[in-house]
Amino acid sequence: MNTMLNLSSSPHVRDRWTTAYIMRVVLLALLPCTLVGVIHFGVHALLVVLLSVFTAVLCELVFDKLCHKPDTWKDGSAAVTGLLLALSLSPSVPLHLPVLGSMFAILVCKCCFGGLGKNFINPALAGRCFLLISFGSAMSNFAVDAVSSATPVALLMNGEPVNVTRMFLGLTNGVIGSSALALLVGGLALWAFGFIHGEICFSVLAMFTLVIGLFGGQGFNLPFLLAHISGGGVVMAAFFMATDYVTSPVTRLGQAIYGCLIGLLGGIFRLYGGTADSFSYCVITGNLFTPMIDHYIVSRPYAFTKYSIIQQARASGIPLYKRIPRPVLVLTVIAAIAGLALSGVYGMTKDTIADQERAAQAASYLVVCPDADHFETDEALDKAIADMNGAVYGSGFGRVTINEAFTAIDAAGNVAGHAISVTTADGYHGNITLAVGINSDGSLNGISFTELNETAGLGMRVDEDAFKGQFAGRAVEKFTLNKAGGSTADDEIDSVSGASTTSGAVVNAVNAALDFYKNTVKGGA
Amino acid sequence: MKDTFRGGVHPAGRKELSRDVPLREFLPTGEMVFPLAQHIGKPAKPIVKKGDTVLVGQRIAEADGFVSAHVICSCSGTVKGIEKRLTLMGSMADCIVVENDGQFTPAEDYTQRQDTASIANGDILYRIQNAGIVGLGGAGFPTHVKLQPKNPELIRYVIANGAECEPYLTCNDQLMRTEADAIVEGLELVLRLFPNAEGVIGIERNKPEAIEAMQKAVAGKARMRVLPLKTKYPQGGERSLIQVIAGVDFPITKLPADVGCVVDNVGTLYAIQRAVVYNEPLYKQVFTLTGDAAAKPGNWIVRDGASFAELLQASGGIKDGVLLKKALVGGPMMGIALSSLDVPIQKQNNGLTLMTEDPNEIAEAEMTACLHCGRCTTVCPVGLLPQLMADAAIDHDYKRYDEKLYGLECIQCGSCTYICPAKRPLMQIFKQTKAEIMAQKRAQAAQAGGKK
Repeated sequence: MNTMLNLSSSPHVRDRWTTAYIMRVVLLALLPCTLVGVIHFGVHALLVVLLSVFTAVLCELVFDKLCHKPDTWKDGSAAVTGLLLALSLSPSVPLHLPVLGSMFAILVCKCCFGGLGKNFINPALAGRCFLLISFGSAMSNFAVDAVSSATPVALLMNGEPVNVTRMFLGLTNGVIGSSALALLVGGLALWAFGFIHGEICFSVLAMFTLVIGLFGGQGFNLPFLLAHISGGGVVMAAFFMATDYVTSPVTRLGQAIYGCLIGLLGGIFRLYGGTADSFSYCVITGNLFTPMIDHYIVSRPYAFTKYSIIQQARASGIPLYKRIPRPVLVLTVIAAIAGLALSGVYGMTKDTIADQERAAQAASYLVVCPDADHFETDEALDKAIADMNGAVYGSGFGRVTINEAFTAIDAAGNVAGHAISVTTADGYHGNITLAVGINSDGSLNGISFTELNETAGLGMRVDEDAFKGQFAGRAVEKFTLNKAGGSTADDEIDSVSGASTTSGAVVNAVNAALDFYKNTVKGGA
Repeated sequence: MKDTFRGGVHPAGRKELSRDVPLREFLPTGEMVFPLAQHIGKPAKPIVKKGDTVLVGQRIAEADGFVSAHVICSCSGTVKGIEKRLTLMGSMADCIVVENDGQFTPAEDYTQRQDTASIANGDILYRIQNAGIVGLGGAGFPTHVKLQPKNPELIRYVIANGAECEPYLTCNDQLMRTEADAIVEGLELVLRLFPNAEGVIGIERNKPEAIEAMQKAVAGKARMRVLPLKTKYPQGGERSLIQVIAGVDFPITKLPADVGCVVDNVGTLYAIQRAVVYNEPLYKQVFTLTGDAAAKPGNWIVRDGASFAELLQASGGIKDGVLLKKALVGGPMMGIALSSLDVPIQKQNNGLTLMTEDPNEIAEAEMTACLHCGRCTTVCPVGLLPQLMADAAIDHDYKRYDEKLYGLECIQCGSCTYICPAKRPLMQIFKQTKAEIMAQKRAQAAQAGGKK
């Protein structure tokens, strides 16, 4: 009983899974593919695999010893890197290549960045790209039994026929780990037992297939798609490279985005790129985006989703009006009261306002028809205006509408002329409404504005006699605007300087009234 | 039918060690120690002094304020004094020490059934408060406080927690098998306080006998049902149960009552029944003594104030030839590691797990670098991202930890730490970070208050 007891914070038990266990399972999942490769390509391929794995583990061991770091070579991650690198090499590479590639992968890409968990790109792929760049011809020599020929992917990219079945099984020339079937078996097993994230591998495959199907020129033709997926390390990349924990995002959404990015790039590179090895570069590009995705794509806890917040509000059982914070409630009530008051005032004064508007209108008619004693409505005119139904009047007058027209009757009971109200929507600041008075002889008596919201000092100056006085007494069919000024002709109107838009709109409105007078009042009467 | 929450882990249950061992009463001898702070809230104030004679069920310390609980004596004897003693939290705390006379003379007769049909709701709460009942699930929150939410009519579910998701522990299993009717009566009493609520008894499927017994007991009762749950940790967490039964997640700043729920452990409901029907205060509770180092794992009815060491001895001690490496109050997921077994059993304690050497035990496992495998994210029942939280915590980026990653929402269930293949001490990091952020916030609040 007098033993020392361990003290620690809970939880006191741990799952059986360790890093080493995961790595061993990944090695196991790569075994079928390795076996197919070694059996198909022979002893040299086996040597490449063994050298690559051995160098990788040795490099990590030496680095750990030299830097006095804990032994991490035992966890198997270096072996996985070495094996992945070997499987993505041609079986006929000279034997110094896997050694150099593994050294670069482990020493430069992994150990120099702090070891397992700290590397920012997949070491195996980095090693492969290093070799591709440094030993281009040796790397792309896929000669089997000294007979050199193009790989199926290269043929595929040139639009030549390939044997899909042999490609899928991996029984063609290509890299050691080119058996898509064996890779699929291992990869799907990893996914099924929860070792890799389905979000990544399936989005890579789906996106790649989509791009090839849409832009590959052969549509969603199954053998064609299968040939593309089987070749060029797509399956290897989707299940074993892109899913590398360290260099892929954490959240499910982030993983899907990352997977789609790789698949998209893979498809584009395959269709429009120059090399059959492009998938390595795609995955590395994806790796580079991982820190950014992890920074920005952060999922919220379950209790903070919009759905959950609504559920919480419902579950609280408190009626809606009690859930609204008090200041919001008070402000809403005040706003409602103010709104009601305003609408009440408007309701009470509405008739008065309308009366006043009508009086102003009537006054403007008197201005333009000074001889009138009173105005009479004319059924024919009213009907003609009603028929227009507020539509733009005629053509060539801009957006002009005729509002109403009255017959002016003088003190003696004779027709003294007509008053026409027109509105143009072409003002600089919206509508301009004016009354146009036309004498019985067709000459203009004058114009008067009832609605004018133009720019003060510019457009507003159309209401000055200098401009609107120009219309009085002239008998023409149509006025034109003279922007330069100094007009002498009867049908020319000088523009208000700097306000030709407003002036033009007014001239057009007057022309419309004249036209209406000529065609409807005179013509109809 | 939905029977579980999102995430969670499956630690080895190890319930077979003790699940079929019937409950036995353990009667301690010698000195009994009663800490004044066994519950969440203010410590109780002693109302006895040295030399006083006390009886079983007698109140020896009074609750100080609303959120506090009485301390009840579990033996008869003489008060030896009020002293600092080592408690299970590993520190010295004020305790009332009583010399046990071994007679266990009760202060009142606790075997007479009282009439409960006519008592008022207020009376039910009063008796619960008087009995010094706290949540027996482990946290020890005063039950009378929990049963008085602001709007009792808005409570839709009273959840009886019989999940017992903690590995090794089996005492609630035994309690449900033997005292099903009493638990259901306790639940009925609680339901009287909440007119619109339904009583749901949640039990993990690894306890088929308990499910059957409880189903038999609720048969024919109004507003009550038994819900079998998936066996998964932390199924018995308050939030997990509410997620399953009421279908709602809620932030850590809210209480179950805010989403219309009240959760009580089945042990608490049993104590409520004893208190209201028999007027018996809480001075003993069910308890599992188990673990791979225990010679005879079993289920007990223990008295508060007794020492863990004495209970272990009475149960048969440590298994021959086995080294005791760790002693946990509670189970291996949430339990508190003891530095010494010679500390008193408290009200809310429901188990002692004795662990032997285990390479996966946290103090033994070697920590390696984070692989970013994301397993912690998959198991988090709250939906947090423990891996990114740990990164932010280690960088002392508390702003990101709190505002972007919602780190303070962690319920400290330990699932992430359990599952981590790199054996990283995630929960320990989160506990510490939370303490630091809270301290910062308090300091800021104090500063802001000072400026006014």
